[in-house]
Amino acid sequence: MLILKPKFEFEVSVEAELTPDLAEKGLEEIRSFKVWYGKLEKSLEELFEIEMQGDEKKLVLDGDFSKVKWIGAGMSEGEIVVKGNVGANCGAYMKGGRIVIEGNADDWLGAEMKDGEIVVKGNAKNLIGCAYYGDVTGMQGGGITIEGNAGNYIGEKMAGGVIEIKGSAGDFIGTEMKGGEIVIHGDCGFVGGDMKGGIIKIGGNFDLLPTFRKAEDGWVGDVLVNGEGKIVKI
Amino acid sequence: MLWIKNGIVIDPKNGIDGEKMDIFVKDGKIVEESEVNKNECQVIDANNKLVLAGGVDMHAHIAGSKINTGRTMRPEEMRIVRQTAGKLRASMGRVLLTSPAIGYEYAKIGYTTAVEAASPPIGSPHTHEELDAIPVVDKAALPVFGNWHPVFKFTAEKDREKLKAFIAWALERTKGFGVKVVNPGGVEAWMYGGNVRSLDDEVPNFGVTPREIITELVKANEELNLPHSVHLHCNNLGVPGNYQTTIETMKLVSGMKNDDRQVLHVTHVQFNAYAGSSWRDVASGAEEIAKVVNSMDNVTIDMGQPIFGHATAMTGDAPFQFTLHKLTGARWSNKDSEIEGGAGIVPIVYLPKNPVHALQWAIGLELGLLVDSDKVVLSTDYPNGGPYTEYPYIMAMLMSKRMREKELERVSPYVQKATSLAAIDVEKTLYEVVQMTRSLPARVLGLENKGHLGVGADADIAIYNINPAEVDPSAQYDVINAEFRRPVYTIKGGEVVVRDGAIVAETWGRTYWVDARKKVDMQAIDEDLNSFFEYYSVERRNYGVDDYWMRSPERLEVN
Repeated sequence: MLILKPKFEFEVSVEAELTPDLAEKGLEEIRSFKVWYGKLEKSLEELFEIEMQGDEKKLVLDGDFSKVKWIGAGMSEGEIVVKGNVGANCGAYMKGGRIVIEGNADDWLGAEMKDGEIVVKGNAKNLIGCAYYGDVTGMQGGGITIEGNAGNYIGEKMAGGVIEIKGSAGDFIGTEMKGGEIVIHGDCGFVGGDMKGGIIKIGGNFDLLPTFRKAEDGWVGDVLVNGEGKIVKI
Repeated sequence: MLWIKNGIVIDPKNGIDGEKMDIFVKDGKIVEESEVNKNECQVIDANNKLVLAGGVDMHAHIAGSKINTGRTMRPEEMRIVRQTAGKLRASMGRVLLTSPAIGYEYAKIGYTTAVEAASPPIGSPHTHEELDAIPVVDKAALPVFGNWHPVFKFTAEKDREKLKAFIAWALERTKGFGVKVVNPGGVEAWMYGGNVRSLDDEVPNFGVTPREIITELVKANEELNLPHSVHLHCNNLGVPGNYQTTIETMKLVSGMKNDDRQVLHVTHVQFNAYAGSSWRDVASGAEEIAKVVNSMDNVTIDMGQPIFGHATAMTGDAPFQFTLHKLTGARWSNKDSEIEGGAGIVPIVYLPKNPVHALQWAIGLELGLLVDSDKVVLSTDYPNGGPYTEYPYIMAMLMSKRMREKELERVSPYVQKATSLAAIDVEKTLYEVVQMTRSLPARVLGLENKGHLGVGADADIAIYNINPAEVDPSAQYDVINAEFRRPVYTIKGGEVVVRDGAIVAETWGRTYWVDARKKVDMQAIDEDLNSFFEYYSVERRNYGVDDYWMRSPERLEVN
């Protein structure tokens, strides 16, 4: 198990593709692992206190990581526990393993992820499980659970996997969605614009576009794109 | 001064095929041995290595409003970082490269000259700014004429003297290199939502036909004796059955002669070589086209070879791009460049298992194999067919039937039915491939100092770790494919820019433009131009590019 603590309060954002693979590397290699502090290239030990405990494939990020981007990007196995907030792009392109965030998450959580699991105990911001600008497919598999609330543009262009939000969410949920499932237990704004497939389940109030037709157990659309997506009230 | 020692030289223009010899360079030119002092030379040991002239890409879209709009449309392209800034500039892009990346990647495959094949005249200041941002290679840009209102007007009036004066005026104002024609008449018709479907369809409001526009422009181009011939993107591009239009177009120049070069270059012919009547029964028309090209001595073509993977379609042929957007459902951008032409941009991915894409891939190769090597230039119509960084793949494919057989296994079986690729036994020799990438494109462009290693040529040289005496391209296609991507040296104007496949220095090439004003009476069109500019959004005195705007212009005067 590798434990990282920020050495000071970061003034600018840090870009660090920290994955559990790091915990299996030698201490020297871990210390000199390259990260970006703003425009400057730094080694990991210049920004973080590093501590090793046992050889478990696990990363514990202890402290405020809200300015640290790309944590767990592309990871395929192992576990990351963040004991605090986490910055943008956490779990992007993730292929497997598990990320637990005890605080809040920023934008682009699990963007374009293929498999694995992300759990956020607090709130998350916008663009969860989305496709990056210009790409045509968002999240394709795996699961993201937010215990609190989430922002706008959840699951845009998503094609598989499950996003569950236990609180409420903002506008534009499942835009251009192609497959998979979004569950929102609270309220949200507009859902399913240009949706082609998949299912959106909502517990509270939401805004339905006029381009959905009533079906037996909910609504189907978006008819503008001959979509067969479903919106269901739970 | 450079002394390239013991290299194995292939230089088709000078009839050299695998001869062991030394090459001497002084002041950026190739010189006789007696011209240099050997003690002062930097010696490059080219023992058992292949020494060629730098590659010449005569048709690529590397600068100007189209590729820039493409970059804006495709943010995902900019996530591939090829090189972070250090001694050299940062370069990015998967297929749509940033300007620094374009120059570096050309040098990295041993190419040293590249021509922007379609520049909207009103956008020429921008085109030249972007060309100036491309390092290493020498450049030129071809302004588009085929849909320009004064061209229609002078063609309709059958006033060739005025047409010639207009071409000379336009080349000077845009600092252009030659006459590019894109879907003549069709782009104008598109401004009313239409297109032209045959050589005899009339262009709305002008009473002229594509046949007349092409013929008049070719005649005017030949009377002006410009270094490059008319460079034509045919009508009906991307339409099943269009190979007949292509053949009919080529035959327009039968009987016309120029001793130095072709009188018509038909570009990215792959996109204009489809038989069949719809996308359901589309097939290859490459064989018929190859027969016609081989039988004519005044027409050349380039391949427009698609490469599987990401590409971006961008042409001045706006109606075709609209069709493509409808066909693929991909993003689309359209540009109307003020009574001179238009353009469209559509992202595209060529997939081996997609029957149409596999067919396009096979047709490109058929053209490359079936047309004589002194009439077909290797190109991908970058970025329409794919990245030029894949030229080594095409070179290897042309040289090895075994490699083609292996590639055929992974593509849609539709190819077997609709093309003859599998049955073609032709294996081009190294000499022929060098012709298709060096001496021929230089000749097609009329650039005498390019594409060869004779005395007086520019010292643009590529040295590869290939020994023609030992490597059998037919069997060792993987060696060809790998080594052409990794020159031991690329030398531009006598300076080493690439060493062992990596950029070691940044140089700046020239931008060629052609001045034909001496051949015509410029006064003759003065009034026509004044009345043209009355309806234009740019004042005449503000229109165009002056020398001081460019980094290193090189004027080629036509006498």
